[in-house]
Amino acid sequence: MKLPVFPKGFGALLFFVLLSAGLCAQQRTITGRVNDENNMPLPGVSITLKGTNQTSITDTSGYFSVTVPSTGAVLVFSYVGYQPQEITVGESSTLNVTLLSASSKMDEVVVVGYGSQSRRNVTGSVAKIDMSQTENTPIASFTQALRGRVAGVQFADNGRPGQGGSIIIRGDRSLSGSDAPLIILDGVFFYGEYSDINPNDIESMQVLKDASATAIYGTRAANGVIIITTKKGAGTKPTIRFNAFYGASGWSKKMNLYGPEAYLQRILDYRRQNNQPSNPDSIRFYLQTTEQEIYDAGQTVDPWDVVSQDASIQSYDMSVSGRTDRTSYFLSANYVNDKGLILNDNAKRITVRMNLDNKITNWLTIGLNSQFTRRDLSGIRAPLDMAYWLSPYAKLYFDDGELVPYPVVDNLEFNPLFAPTYYKNKALNYSIFGTAYALVSIPQIKGLSYRFNYNPRFTWDQNYLAQPVYDRADAGYQNTGLARRVNQQNASWQYENILTYSKSLGDHDFDVTLLYGQDHQEFDITRAESRNLFNDALGYNNLNIGTTQTTPNEPEDVEISNSVSSMARLNYRFRNRYLLTLTARRDGSSRFGVDKKYGTFPSAAVAWIISDEAFMDKLTVFNMLKLRLSYGKVGNIAGGPYQSLGRFITTQYVFGDGSPTYTGVYPDQSYMPQPNLGWETTTAANAGIDFEILKNRIGGTIEYYYTKTTDMLQRQSVSTLTGFSNQYINIGQVDNRGIEITLNTVNIKTKQFSWTSNIIFAANKNKIVHIKHQDTDKDGVEDDDLSNNWFIGSPISVNFDYEFDGIYQEGDPMPAGYKPGWVRVKDQNKDGRITAEDRVILGQRDPKYRWGITNTLSYGNITLSFFINAMQDFMAPFNMLSIENARGGGSFPGRPVNMLNAGYWTPENRSNTRPGLTWTNPLNMQFYAKRDFVRLQDVSLAYDFPKSITERYKLTNLRLFVNGRNLATWTDWPGPDPESGNNTITNLYPTPRTVTLGLNLGF
Amino acid sequence: MQRINKIITAMLVFTLLYGTACKKDVLDETPQAFMNIEATLTNKAGFESAVIALHAGAREQLFGQDGSRMWALHLGTDEFMTGDPSLADFNDYITWLTPQQQSVTMNWNWAYLTMIPRANLIIEYAEKPTVTWASEEEKNALVAEARFMRAFTYNFLANLYGGVPIVDRVYMEDKRDFVRASRQEVYDFARQDLEFASQWLPVEAPAKGRIAKGAADHLLAEVYISLGDYDKAIEAATRVIDGPYKLVTERFGNYLNRPGDPFSDLFRDGGQNHVANTETIWAVQMEYLTPGGIALRNQGNTTLRAFGNRYWNLKDPDGNAGMVVADSLGRGVGWVRGTNYLFYNIWDDPNDMRNSRNNIRRDFYYNNPESPYVGQKVDRNNPVHDTAWDYYPTIRKIEGESLAGASYGRTFKDHYMMRLAETYLLRAEAWLRKNDPVMAANDINVVRGRAHAAPISPDDVDLDYILDERARELMIEELRRLTLNRVGKLVERVRAYNPKSGNSIQDYHGLFPIPQDVIDANSGTELGQNDGYD
Repeated sequence: MKLPVFPKGFGALLFFVLLSAGLCAQQRTITGRVNDENNMPLPGVSITLKGTNQTSITDTSGYFSVTVPSTGAVLVFSYVGYQPQEITVGESSTLNVTLLSASSKMDEVVVVGYGSQSRRNVTGSVAKIDMSQTENTPIASFTQALRGRVAGVQFADNGRPGQGGSIIIRGDRSLSGSDAPLIILDGVFFYGEYSDINPNDIESMQVLKDASATAIYGTRAANGVIIITTKKGAGTKPTIRFNAFYGASGWSKKMNLYGPEAYLQRILDYRRQNNQPSNPDSIRFYLQTTEQEIYDAGQTVDPWDVVSQDASIQSYDMSVSGRTDRTSYFLSANYVNDKGLILNDNAKRITVRMNLDNKITNWLTIGLNSQFTRRDLSGIRAPLDMAYWLSPYAKLYFDDGELVPYPVVDNLEFNPLFAPTYYKNKALNYSIFGTAYALVSIPQIKGLSYRFNYNPRFTWDQNYLAQPVYDRADAGYQNTGLARRVNQQNASWQYENILTYSKSLGDHDFDVTLLYGQDHQEFDITRAESRNLFNDALGYNNLNIGTTQTTPNEPEDVEISNSVSSMARLNYRFRNRYLLTLTARRDGSSRFGVDKKYGTFPSAAVAWIISDEAFMDKLTVFNMLKLRLSYGKVGNIAGGPYQSLGRFITTQYVFGDGSPTYTGVYPDQSYMPQPNLGWETTTAANAGIDFEILKNRIGGTIEYYYTKTTDMLQRQSVSTLTGFSNQYINIGQVDNRGIEITLNTVNIKTKQFSWTSNIIFAANKNKIVHIKHQDTDKDGVEDDDLSNNWFIGSPISVNFDYEFDGIYQEGDPMPAGYKPGWVRVKDQNKDGRITAEDRVILGQRDPKYRWGITNTLSYGNITLSFFINAMQDFMAPFNMLSIENARGGGSFPGRPVNMLNAGYWTPENRSNTRPGLTWTNPLNMQFYAKRDFVRLQDVSLAYDFPKSITERYKLTNLRLFVNGRNLATWTDWPGPDPESGNNTITNLYPTPRTVTLGLNLGF
Repeated sequence: MQRINKIITAMLVFTLLYGTACKKDVLDETPQAFMNIEATLTNKAGFESAVIALHAGAREQLFGQDGSRMWALHLGTDEFMTGDPSLADFNDYITWLTPQQQSVTMNWNWAYLTMIPRANLIIEYAEKPTVTWASEEEKNALVAEARFMRAFTYNFLANLYGGVPIVDRVYMEDKRDFVRASRQEVYDFARQDLEFASQWLPVEAPAKGRIAKGAADHLLAEVYISLGDYDKAIEAATRVIDGPYKLVTERFGNYLNRPGDPFSDLFRDGGQNHVANTETIWAVQMEYLTPGGIALRNQGNTTLRAFGNRYWNLKDPDGNAGMVVADSLGRGVGWVRGTNYLFYNIWDDPNDMRNSRNNIRRDFYYNNPESPYVGQKVDRNNPVHDTAWDYYPTIRKIEGESLAGASYGRTFKDHYMMRLAETYLLRAEAWLRKNDPVMAANDINVVRGRAHAAPISPDDVDLDYILDERARELMIEELRRLTLNRVGKLVERVRAYNPKSGNSIQDYHGLFPIPQDVIDANSGTELGQNDGYD
């Protein structure tokens, strides 16, 4: 057998290392302990013998032991978040060290793409999320840690359990390409769900915002990059940690629906305005027959109570970590059980992680980071549109206790309890994600190393549904039974070859990174359905029970996409204060048209650490001042594959009685093929200043950016005369300009008491510069695109409509056919008539400003922090404000269903804000509301038990915290939550208000 | 510095090496789970399935969605108005019929997004050299079916909107400068398609629901009338009448043991496709619990739901529930109620079969077993009854087996698109327009004769009489708005017969407006709105 070929001289090197470690006689051992300023032990501090690669690490109690030469040894103690210390070893064989926390953010290590750097040396715009800010808050998904804490990063979720939410970095660039940032987990692309990741496993998170930082990720980087690094084993003594929290939630806001009396009054008012008999004494007669029963019995129902459940969240997390000579390990398990506010809206999650890193030889390290997640979203949640419509006099139950399918006989309304109670489902998602890597430090060439990553991901979704047979004579509803099984698989893999080389030559330091990789993604879905079950006992587990078995007619059951990438980066430092980064990435993707597969994305950045210059020595106010400039291009990739191709989809038909099924094919009218579909390119310039002043009491970053997105990947509506409704195209240009400010201040710091603040502010201005370079009317100005609501010079996402201008009152002159109580539309061009020309831009849909403030007050072992989050100057349609249903607002004033109680015009109250009940919305206009809000997002109080207690129980730390989330919101938005912006009657999810008790334990 | 240059050079070499070394085929995109147009339309089987999609599209016009807006071609005419008092559809024409109105867009999109592209694809690709056809006949028969559907759609558009853009080819590129043809040009375009279809379609359709020559000739008769070519209209209609079609005069079908007559048997479950039914020219097909048996986004034949009254809401004289939903009656919601003109005024002959109890249900009896009044006739004159919504006559054409339960509200019956009786009335109209009232009366009397109604004298035949006869014979089957728009009588007859819409309708309402979003999207040139709407 032939042994693996090792580089020449390697054996000798190995021998030498072993020799020097074992046989060198002139050595001695130093032991000691490392503490922080509060005399707490610091585990995981790395201790390096200066001038060598010899490194050791403190254990969980802060103790260490190192072997040093008998004379002249200098030990370097370093730990993330603390100032490194160099100590010359004296005569003593014990050494106790106190590390001071790194008041300078500049000394922290940040992970950038394909490597890590000291913040000092970073040239791009990289924001690090301080995970300690959220450790006293109950977060079930890492995305929640981003909310309001990073300038330029916008996070929103929809208030439901188990949802990862959405992240937007530096505003909308592309409406149709995705806005979601790229997630890099432990150095590799992560395409899974945000909620697959256990936030307790995260060591650090960085957000890359400018093109210099992101361009190394090329085509996927246009929306910014979030780099997540999971924990690794540190001390030689195993660390065991246990975190748990339990929270109880309630509604932060209930939308105001009609109560019993107002509901009856609305019936009377509607009938009067609709010229029907309207006698208050006959009100019982105007009710539906089922409503009469409830009315006669003197009962009423509250819709939101009907669909609520006791909401709570609990999380238990345990981890074990440590390291031996050659191996470091981190193992964790986490269980979250999140019960939402809405009946049966539940999410359970189990995650298990194992990170192993093994130094096989001095030149080869191999490792595996892996996670398994099982998410269980089973439970048919109560439909909120049905709650919204529920009459206060709805009859929900038959006398025998069974549910009434139609609680009012008008069949618009279906009992919101029916599906949650009778239907059964299974909604499981399994995901396995891993990164196997090998790291080779090429021995012959100092500074040259090679890394190979292979990261497979596999997810499997089961979505099964069983509707039982339902046949009850008095129910007015029949169901022959349904069983459905949907199985979905995603399989993907990437591999990457990364070569890095670093070198110092006097004043010049540089490192080079080269990459080549491929990426493959596969998606596969199987759907099967069975109806007309003669027996429903087997639920969704046997589709053969039903007589009608089908594969539901949905297109695209299999998708495959591929990409190939190569990248090169150079970091160069001159005299450690003039910094330069150059990158170039070339990506090819199968998702684009035949001749548009490849894109190249270069970037450059420079930085100057001004405070290191001699002339700054006199300006003692500045502890640190750094200027950064960057410029580059990044790409954005289309949402799904095959968008450049024309496609047939299938339909079915029958011919004759007792006919079999015939399959028809037709071109998918939703998307016109676009063979020339290519990359969307964003060119971005960024200028930033990092500073620390007044003895590091105030530190921060101010950034200005300008991005120009060209060849935008847009889903545009096309004229339906072409036979298609939409098309993906590369079109036009959108500019974003913005300013981002981050401030970290130490307001008060005494021995016992400290008060620190973190303030972020971001403003973004978004503008369409070009659409199609078309000037049909030859007026010298490029044409707007009315069918897509795109206007030159306006933000990409605007509300374009008629303007509400009050309500016509008795005696007002009004257009033909109009009546008092109808909406007055503003005659913008003052031609005396209301035409399509009177539509205007009413406002933008994305916020102009976002800000957040976190204040942390510490006194002894007690820490109190509160966090305020705000977004301002934006608006969205909220059609429940309308009185009728033309635009799908869900208001049917003439039917026995509920609706938003926001008043309406009557001849007596002469409302000038809402129309009368018989308005028909002739122009099909929408109603809009401002989404501006300021929210008290989190208030946390934590108590660290003193050492006297922890030591008695052999604990390293013990902390209790209580957190209140979403305690108050100041807004005019009429919907359940301005941040989520949910505005249709099917998604009126309120954001929970949660009070949580938590425990952190280490031993 | 020299070292750095070397490194940069090495970087570039590395990048270029890998950048160009990538195999191109890795990035080739091959659809995995959907058909590619070019690969499918290569032979008869491929075109057959494209034609099937066209039939599915045709069914979606009437049964693709649910809700009152689906019935805009009936509501606000002389025949029908809203029943449900909370509906405003066409009650005030000025504020209802706007370019933003949902049904205005819905009908337009059905034509231009569903029907025309599917038809154009077949017509265009059939001529490609890559297609293997067994014979010219094989190709032409399939093309003829597609051209029939295209003509059917353009005739619909011209009747409803007037002059519209003629899209006669497949577009695979964004186009924003469509122009409208005149109404006559649109009719003429339909004529050309139909003449081809009439030439190449088989006399006997290959399956129930497929298109035969008779359907093309029937539609051709109408299109020739619109073009003013009455001789050709008569010829076309005559080809149908002399063809394998004949009005049914004997009872038939699966319900012989129930009360009925030949006319009512036409509309029972299974009647449309029955072998004894010789007057179906084209019926869209439905089937219960069969994939493809109903339109995708809808739940069956929704005429019962839309046109049926809410008898189940009737209260007994004590004010309590007097009714329960009955299998035989289904569960109407009363969106579309006949006018008095339809229910009462047009019935000039008490013997008219079409007004018999078998065909119009006028009396209702309490059926709630818990009511002391069960079995008693509901008193129409009791003012507690809402005769606009709950208690109006039921046109029994809508009734059908409640296969999915009575409360389901929909049936699974096939639905007539063309029936021989209408061919007679089209020929009568052509004769009349040719100033031959005798021949016109002859045709009308064939239809009346089958219904045992007294013949009409030629002196009494005018266009209004033909419209009345169409109402008696074709109510619900006929999309009344299309007919009235076609003959230019909508405004006049709504004023005369529709109490809800009559006051507000204006002269310009004889055509639908062009949808605003279509005008907005046509940025390359002004598409132009119909008069009165801008």
